[in-house]
Amino acid sequence: MAEDEILALRDVSSGYGAVAVVRSVSLALRSGEALAVLGKNGMGKTTLLKTIVGLLPLQGGAIHIAGTKGPLSPAELVAKGVSYAPQEQPLFQDLSVRDNLRLALRRDAEFGRALEHVVGNFPFLAERLKQRAGTLSGGEQKMLILARALMLKPRLLLIDEISEGLQPSVLDRIAGVLRQERSGAALLLVEQNLDFALSVAERWAVLERGEIRDQGPRDAGARSRIIGRLSL
Amino acid sequence: MLENALKASRLAPALFAGAALLVWFAPLFLDPFAANVLTRSLIYAALAATVDLLWGYTGILTFAQGAFFGVGAYATALTMTSFGATPAAILGALALGVLVPAALGALVGWISFHQNSTPLYASVISLVFPIVVTQLVYSGGAWTGSSSGLVGYDVLPLELEGFFRLAGLLLVAVVAAAWIFVRSDAGKLLVAVRDNETRCAYLDIDPKRIQILLTTALAAVAGLAGFVFAHASGVVAPENVGFVFGTELVIWVALGGRASLFGPVFAAIGIDYLSANLSGDLPFLWQLVLGGVFVVTIILLPDGAAGLARRAFGAARPRRVRLQTAETRAQTLASGPLLEVSGLARGFGSLAVLRDIDLRVSAGELLSIVGPNGAGKTTFMRCVSDGLEPFRGVIKIAGVSIAGKPPDRVAALGVGRKFQVASIFEGLTVVDCLRLARASREAPSALRASPSLSLPLACVEVLELTGLSGLLTSPARLLSHGMKQALELAMVLALEPSLILLDEPTAGLTKSERTLIGDVLKQLTAQAGCAVILVEHDFDFVREISSRIVVLHQGRLVLDGTVEDVTNSETVRAIYAGAGHG
Amino acid sequence: MLLLLDILSTAAILFIVALGLLAIFGVLKIINFAHGAWLTVGAYCAVLTARLGLNPWAAAPIAFVVGLALGGLAELIIIRPLYRRPLDAILATWGLGIVIGQLITLAFGRDVQFAPSLLPGTMRVGSVDYSRYRLFALAAAVVVGAIYAIAFEGTRLGLLARAVIMNETLARALGVSTERVRLATFMIGTGLAAVAGFALTPLTSIDPSMGVAWLIGAFMLVMVADASYLALAGASLAFGAVQVLVSTFVSPVLGGVSVAVLAALVLRLRPRGFARA
Repeated sequence: MAEDEILALRDVSSGYGAVAVVRSVSLALRSGEALAVLGKNGMGKTTLLKTIVGLLPLQGGAIHIAGTKGPLSPAELVAKGVSYAPQEQPLFQDLSVRDNLRLALRRDAEFGRALEHVVGNFPFLAERLKQRAGTLSGGEQKMLILARALMLKPRLLLIDEISEGLQPSVLDRIAGVLRQERSGAALLLVEQNLDFALSVAERWAVLERGEIRDQGPRDAGARSRIIGRLSL
Repeated sequence: MLENALKASRLAPALFAGAALLVWFAPLFLDPFAANVLTRSLIYAALAATVDLLWGYTGILTFAQGAFFGVGAYATALTMTSFGATPAAILGALALGVLVPAALGALVGWISFHQNSTPLYASVISLVFPIVVTQLVYSGGAWTGSSSGLVGYDVLPLELEGFFRLAGLLLVAVVAAAWIFVRSDAGKLLVAVRDNETRCAYLDIDPKRIQILLTTALAAVAGLAGFVFAHASGVVAPENVGFVFGTELVIWVALGGRASLFGPVFAAIGIDYLSANLSGDLPFLWQLVLGGVFVVTIILLPDGAAGLARRAFGAARPRRVRLQTAETRAQTLASGPLLEVSGLARGFGSLAVLRDIDLRVSAGELLSIVGPNGAGKTTFMRCVSDGLEPFRGVIKIAGVSIAGKPPDRVAALGVGRKFQVASIFEGLTVVDCLRLARASREAPSALRASPSLSLPLACVEVLELTGLSGLLTSPARLLSHGMKQALELAMVLALEPSLILLDEPTAGLTKSERTLIGDVLKQLTAQAGCAVILVEHDFDFVREISSRIVVLHQGRLVLDGTVEDVTNSETVRAIYAGAGHG
Repeated sequence: MLLLLDILSTAAILFIVALGLLAIFGVLKIINFAHGAWLTVGAYCAVLTARLGLNPWAAAPIAFVVGLALGGLAELIIIRPLYRRPLDAILATWGLGIVIGQLITLAFGRDVQFAPSLLPGTMRVGSVDYSRYRLFALAAAVVVGAIYAIAFEGTRLGLLARAVIMNETLARALGVSTERVRLATFMIGTGLAAVAGFALTPLTSIDPSMGVAWLIGAFMLVMVADASYLALAGASLAFGAVQVLVSTFVSPVLGGVSVAVLAALVLRLRPRGFARA
């Protein structure tokens, strides 16, 4: 693993029981870099993230995170400054905004300072701390998810399809925060929304049936290359 | 090992006859104390067999069998107390001893097994029932004998040997009947209900009805055991009704081995007999050891002693079965569309998952539903196959509205649903899964395991194309993922549905497997007058086989057309690029 | 007035007895069938305390610690291996209950024991003289409930427990050590159960199987209340009222089963409590 690589996957395979959903995926992310992993449904994107985070067993290959050989459990990852925002049921709907944010940290002692930091990006949260997370609008909930991920001041952010179902204005805001306010964190963004992904990440990779079929930098030809892969 | 021998050869009738003979002559060799204790142990063993049927085979953890037994015993004792040992009274006691528990069994079953009930709830009810009965007995005053119980009533004019034989024959009869049933085709229904209630429902088999019927029938058997007990022991007390006794039965089944019949029977006899003999010296230590062994067994040896025996001697090999092609039933071709959806809407709280969907699908169509994640595709499938889903709008299958109909009633209308994660019966063999899938069309025998199985042509083709026809006797849980998907598809086809719903049928399949499935689906719609609706992400597959594609996005039906229409559509391209949000 | 006090104090006792079981059911999603055995353990701590000549009130913290320690052992050895088999876990706890009961019998014998009265006598309330201890039990239930609520809503462990109750998978994904939360919760639940057993000693006779009768009522209440301690308070009040009224006006024996029957009926109509189980 290279010196400044915060995440490295070599020939990683994983899946559910006997089904291999992710086959031989290799990719690397350097400190501070942002990579978008794109692909249609069922192509393995969420499976890949879950494997990196230790929620699914590694069936082949190797993962290195922040200098340590994986797989690491979610708790160990949090200790290392890795933040994960899952796609399914990512919030505790019945807990308050404040309690949802508290769960991002390992100790309540650091809460005050961490809160100040994220409220700067999402001021509306300051007024809603006592509200139940389920009463926020869809867009506000996504922003809360992002805020929670940033509470840790993470070194690596793993985000699964945060753009789903969002209005353009909210998308822009979230893209802005991800671009500029992640304080040097590396970012692995799993997405289906191509434009959103390219507005945030400077590199991209397309996952098709569990394998990386194409990847590259965000240059002039990127968009049409990716569309070709994603469409019917 | 015994089970092995019985299954492998046709010795069964001989062995049961042998057991009956053993029971007949045993009293000649036993001292009175042993005979007395064993009479009780044999009756308890019959009860343990019923608990095994309920828990081991059907997955219903019940503590109530002891109570049904006690009710039968009390009914008998009360009748004998009131009327003496006249033939009429004895017959009356027999009738009451069986029918009263049966009625209570039906009641308990009705309370325990309903649409939203869970296994935990059923267990809890089975615990509450004995407690209520116990309290009723206590509050019955002189009539029920309260805490002292009923004694001194007239009994059947049999001596100690006679009662021993009666108890023994009861046990042999119960175990023989149970054994014949679980080996038969219909007996597999128990395991199916235990393994996968949902799949049963979607095969037009009502799992709740089976659970209620079984509870009622076995309550009757327990009552019969109670009748024999009341006569043999001459004493009926609250301990015979209580839930402590009910839990003892469960413990014996756990130790003997769930779903083995013989394990629980021998465990019951052994433990009860030992308890009676040790009681004088070390009552508490014995209970302590038993409790400890029970806990250890649950944690480390969930299959009990029978499980150990199976591992030592190997499980029995299932018999071969021949496949036949069935005559397809006369297709009453619906003149109208097979599926009519009007104004379908479904929300979860404030989140609208489906909005205003209109769709008509006729026989011969192969429709694919595509759309990004969260578009509502699986919710749509669920609404169309389960009338209990709280949707708004109208859904009709072959002209009949499905609102309020549970999945088995919808399946009866001709809907077959295949799930994304293969939903089969892991505890059964391939052929048994298929036979049960066919159960709603051809009732399985309750007495024998048929050596042949008739399946519709499409089903047989899938089995042959995928190679499953060579794996008929293989346990379903050992199949590869692709094979499980194929088996589930075959099971759905065995239903002979007119509307087939498939949720991601190609997930995890190899290229060749996908082509095979695609060919079968195309054939079905072309020749058998079915309609197929599938949810898929694999667009090559969709393009190859679909006659029509429907695009869902954020709960709305955005496009409905031919393969060319949809592939070339700008709207669709935009949706996948992320531009189309609403 | 007398009836009202009976109802309130009965509800209070039901609440205290069931609270520990509620905590375990909420977080671990299983019914601890050995709960009755823990009640018994707590009661026998009172017996032991008296024998050792200590202040009878000292039995409360002693019971708590003993219950806690025993709970820790049980969770590690019995519950944890059965994480994926909840029905088997329930059976195993029943077996554990038998084992504990027999150990107590071996140590103390089967005879009924008596523990010293903690607050003998009566107190004037309004127009009636009522048992001082039952009034104390009423106050104790409120205090215990308040402490539980504060711990649950305010502490870090309470937050983690709430997260695990609502969505264990998400909690784990966010790095919460769900094993530790389950262990801590089980221990606190059993500690509470032992203290409840101690609290029962002035009200009932003490023998190795005393806990079983309370077990059924307790877990029926817990299933109706799901994971909510407020709902438990409400259910204790409602069902306690029914129990007292049936016992007073119909028959004491039937009053004893009224909680179980009523709960079974409620759950038949609104199975929400079972939806997660």
